[in-house]
Amino acid sequence: MLELIRSTYRYRELIWALALKELKVRYKRSALGFLWALLNPALMMLVLTVVFSTIMRFAIPHYAIFLLSVLLPWTFFSQSLGYAVDCIVGNGELIKKVSVPKLVFPVAAVLSNIINLLLSFIPMALLVLAMGHPFYSTWLYLPVPVLALIIFTLGMTCFFATANVFYRDVAHILQVVLSAWFYFTPIIYSLDFVPAHLRWIFRLNPIIYVVNGFRLAIYYGMLPHWQSIAASFACGFIALIIGCAIFLKYQDDFVFYV
Amino acid sequence: MSSMSDLQRSANHTVVRLENVTQRFRVIQERPDSVREIFAKFFRHEVSFHDFDAIRNLSLEVPSGQMLGVIGRNGSGKSTLLKIIAGVYRPTAGRVHVEGRLAPLIELGAGFHHELTGRENILLNGLLMGYSKAEMRAREQSIIEFADIGDFIDAPIKQYSSGMQTRLAFAVATEVDPHILVVDEVLAVGDTGFQQKCFARIDKFREAGKTILFVTHNMPQVAEHCDRAVLLDKGSIIADGEPAEVVSFYKSLTLPEMAAVD
Repeated sequence: MLELIRSTYRYRELIWALALKELKVRYKRSALGFLWALLNPALMMLVLTVVFSTIMRFAIPHYAIFLLSVLLPWTFFSQSLGYAVDCIVGNGELIKKVSVPKLVFPVAAVLSNIINLLLSFIPMALLVLAMGHPFYSTWLYLPVPVLALIIFTLGMTCFFATANVFYRDVAHILQVVLSAWFYFTPIIYSLDFVPAHLRWIFRLNPIIYVVNGFRLAIYYGMLPHWQSIAASFACGFIALIIGCAIFLKYQDDFVFYV
Repeated sequence: MSSMSDLQRSANHTVVRLENVTQRFRVIQERPDSVREIFAKFFRHEVSFHDFDAIRNLSLEVPSGQMLGVIGRNGSGKSTLLKIIAGVYRPTAGRVHVEGRLAPLIELGAGFHHELTGRENILLNGLLMGYSKAEMRAREQSIIEFADIGDFIDAPIKQYSSGMQTRLAFAVATEVDPHILVVDEVLAVGDTGFQQKCFARIDKFREAGKTILFVTHNMPQVAEHCDRAVLLDKGSIIADGEPAEVVSFYKSLTLPEMAAVD
């Protein structure tokens, strides 16, 4: 943990440059370039809004906002993992030639997605205004779940990036795990739809507490219970400590397997 | 500046020290092609790897200001040795001590990203070697001048010729003012003019009291530029001393082989 903070701070310029590189490479050779970071979530929202306000109508008012308030953080989580699972293997040529603290790679991969997440709140806010949904003051609370989500994502990233070095199957398994996890998490539905006697199973899902905070703040204009906030940070730090410990334990062997 | 005067004060102290270093690699002989084969192997307790020491119980001390040539046939452990010194590998056994900033020129454009421009790569490469953004910005212009790649500096690296990439890599590694420079065969790529420029710079490095570790198959270069040479064979040093003597010893070892081919 301490090691993570220390090397992140010492190599902050490198991490920032790597994250920017990631974004630059992602949007290179496209006419609109960096604008896609904004346009992508905006267009996705447009599609979802049209689908759920005309074709599939739910009894939930402003369903698009209900959905997107959780879908945006989920997209950050799944995209971070999707990109970062490859962050050690993908930088293998570099790791084989330059001595560099390996932790900078997962941190940079997550950072580049944080930039995307933050940018996606802009079209989200526009959508809230456009649909006439109340713009709650609880938006101010959002930095708290964002922080908890980053901690959780970084921990998971460290774990999967390490595992993928030794078993390349991990990247493929991860795709399946993420899509199952998506349906297991109340994103397109609400936990209220789940029969009461089954809800305890859903409460074992470590990401449920943090995404709940997003939905409450954006859609309902409420703040989560302190126990839920505590649970979201507890899950985050457990993931980070385990993920980081595994990463640091095996980092010296990466060079032989990439 | 204080580091510079420190270096001069203790002119001949050791900056690279390896004590009984062994680097073991696990070589997987064949990968099982199917799940069935994995199970078959598992139940028959077949071992499908063997261990191989690329560097075997090697000790070496390099004083500051020395230009050390490392020679030996392919697979003798030269590159592995440099990678241990550069901190890329953590050795299986033994101790490694390296003092001062080290610039590795291990393979062509290590750390270059092909989609990024030359200018962006200068910054990224410098940061990877542990320099700050401000330091790299200050040196950017002289790096571009030394590499001599003109307007290409703002084009993606993937459009560069291999010679241009080497020139840029060499310029970045040497312009950042390291204490130790590690050069692994990369200079073979550039044209004669650039090679002369590189050796002029390497000689300047030596005059400034810096340490250079130099791997090459070009024996005249070793004899001409190095202060000392070591000959590696199967991961051990089998000769260490005057470049001319080590080179002729190496030639005496390889000559019978060449005669056999004829």
